[in-house]
Amino acid sequence: MQPDNNDRSVEDSIDRRQLLQALGAGGAIAIAGCSGDGGSGSDGGDGDSGSGGDGGDGSTQSVQFLTMGVGDNIKQFFEENNAAFEDEHDVDVEFTSVTWDNARQTVNNRVDGGEAPDVSRWPARWIPQLVGKDALEPLDDMMDGEFGEQFYDGVAEGTMYNGSHYGVPWAASNKCLYYNKDVFETAGLDPEDPSLDSWQDMLDAATQIRDSDASVPALGLAGADAIETGSQYYHYHWSHGADLVDDEGMPVVNSSGAVDALSLYTDLHLEHNVTQSSPLSSTRQDIRQLFENGDLGMVIGHVYTGLNITAAKENGDVDFDYGIVQVPRGPEGRYSLFTIDTLAILSQSEHKDLARDLIRFYFDEERRFQYSKQKGFLPVVEAVGERSYFSESKNWGPFVEAGQYARARPKLGNFSEFNDRMVQAIQEALADRKSPQKALNDAQSDLEDAME
Amino acid sequence: MSLAEEYTETSDDSRLERGLAYVQRNSRAYLLIAPAAVFLLAVVGYPIIETFRLSLYQSPADSNIETFVGLQHYVEIFNSDIFYRLLWQTGRWVVAGVAGKTLLGLLIAVHLKGDIRGRKFFRTAFLIPWGIPYAISAVVFRWIEHPQFGYLNAILLKLGIIEQGIGILGNPSIAWLGVVVADIWIGTPFMAIIFLAGLQSIPQELYEAAAIDGAEKWHQFRYITLPQLKSVVLIATLLSTIWTFVSFDVIWTMTGGGPISSTATLVIHIYQVGLQNGNLGRGAAYSVIGFLFLFVFAIIYLRIYTRGGDEL
Repeated sequence: MQPDNNDRSVEDSIDRRQLLQALGAGGAIAIAGCSGDGGSGSDGGDGDSGSGGDGGDGSTQSVQFLTMGVGDNIKQFFEENNAAFEDEHDVDVEFTSVTWDNARQTVNNRVDGGEAPDVSRWPARWIPQLVGKDALEPLDDMMDGEFGEQFYDGVAEGTMYNGSHYGVPWAASNKCLYYNKDVFETAGLDPEDPSLDSWQDMLDAATQIRDSDASVPALGLAGADAIETGSQYYHYHWSHGADLVDDEGMPVVNSSGAVDALSLYTDLHLEHNVTQSSPLSSTRQDIRQLFENGDLGMVIGHVYTGLNITAAKENGDVDFDYGIVQVPRGPEGRYSLFTIDTLAILSQSEHKDLARDLIRFYFDEERRFQYSKQKGFLPVVEAVGERSYFSESKNWGPFVEAGQYARARPKLGNFSEFNDRMVQAIQEALADRKSPQKALNDAQSDLEDAME
Repeated sequence: MSLAEEYTETSDDSRLERGLAYVQRNSRAYLLIAPAAVFLLAVVGYPIIETFRLSLYQSPADSNIETFVGLQHYVEIFNSDIFYRLLWQTGRWVVAGVAGKTLLGLLIAVHLKGDIRGRKFFRTAFLIPWGIPYAISAVVFRWIEHPQFGYLNAILLKLGIIEQGIGILGNPSIAWLGVVVADIWIGTPFMAIIFLAGLQSIPQELYEAAAIDGAEKWHQFRYITLPQLKSVVLIATLLSTIWTFVSFDVIWTMTGGGPISSTATLVIHIYQVGLQNGNLGRGAAYSVIGFLFLFVFAIIYLRIYTRGGDEL
């Protein structure tokens, strides 16, 4: 250290070289940390047990069960059933729940680190990526037999990739169009016969609400930087005859139908002014929340929107009536986005038989009924869906009906990147930065590069 | 051998000998720091080397196969428009954030140094934002700025200033400002505390002498406080610059880098490319570039501020 030539004491001074060394190291750690093991900024609290696959060296075997999004409404279900499985098979169930935000990263980290769980739940759209890593165990032996026959055909097909089943359907969801009957009545629309069959019908109703004394926005439109913006928009896209990829898996996002669909989506905000303010700030959850609060005329939503409103009405939190109709049809038909979550066995598992037992255990019909009822997902098992609880319910009935035209997103190894680019195109059009044609052309070009 | 060569050789030999003798004299000290040095090499050196190695490979997250591509990632990055847009957005984010935190921190510190009523309370209160996890603060600010549910719009609507909620975070032109405000709120307490410590180390006699000489408050601040605080400001802004540059939580939580990538910085893009989209090699290349930027920045920054022989 150089002699101190200032008034400050030696103890207070820091050598310049020391500081540079520290900065170099610190900066590198910070940067490397962001790339090396997975974004420290967002993975806090992922609940990853991190323990090995064999469950320790005790006499009791253990099976690791990783799932996502276990909230208060379903936590008890898992606690009770895991305990029942432990008693029945004399094993430990190492149950881990992570938030959806951290799910993909947690799964990848555990698979890459050789610490994969035995059984895990995830969206079917992740299957290609995990199959590419040889991370998944084919489950044709289960799905081609009696066990597989209990599922709806379309749902079972949703777990297939390259001709094999890489999971068991765990949960499914699709969407319908909700409308606020009180708002419709205020706007002079018939709440019992809302006539919302096509997009044009929806726009007409929205325009009438906009011009009425109803003090709420007519329609919820998602445009935020979130994966769900794509899932809200694809209804418009598909119903105009547009597609995302062709049979070879190459992008085809800028067809004339796609331009019409995106034009309609953006015109709802820019030209017709029938949406909530600033759709680019609104996630799907935001517009659902607005509708559930009674502050929106219409929204495309899941079954749990209705379940939430019903519960809120019973608690006296809200007081309005709502109706559910099918997602409007476009020139080329009607589609409802179908999402399937699967339960898979990991290739790294050393307890594959036990993992199969755990899956079979959770597909007991009564357990499936309890799960679907509490969680608010569509039943994946036919016998459960046929129960009157679902088929005769005001909330569930339209969604069961929507199953006939439900459509899943394509299974692509880089679907996340694909969807991000589509969301960017939607935002560019919604922000009036680019015309729908230009936004989709640019997206097509970028996606072609990305999928070369 | 010429005299000069002889001299050089002798000089090298003696330098080596002197070095060896120095190590021998301090062998015990080297032995004592060896465990820490090995530990540092493992936890600091390995990630750096691994990140650089990864940047030379095509390394998709959905495959265990890596393909050596040399400097291809770097060439593609430097040839892409998005890189320069990210540089601009990162620079904007860092400059605005650090400037805001520095100025506010200095303002708060100067006032807290004075003998004001409730000084202890304010000193504690100003630390609270720094004690809250960044992600939580970011969530709070996201809600404050939300067009339908947020306090900010609710107040403006109530006052009749606006007719409908403004989506700050949904407007590609101003979303970055909405995020910077949150970052400034979070980071200001650190700056204020550091500056306060620096202010308290300035001898009071300097101010008394200046007052006797008739110096106004502003002149005292300009010619005593600021020069005396120079080294503290240097350290604080340098650290703040690095932290802001690599900051992830606030932007990701509030906007996810959107809308239309208008709030994305280099670090956000690294996460999106490397981890969300599974292009680990490209993400690593961006990381190396970011690291080099910070490293070069730190050197230049220190050279400018230590010009004239000052030592930190």
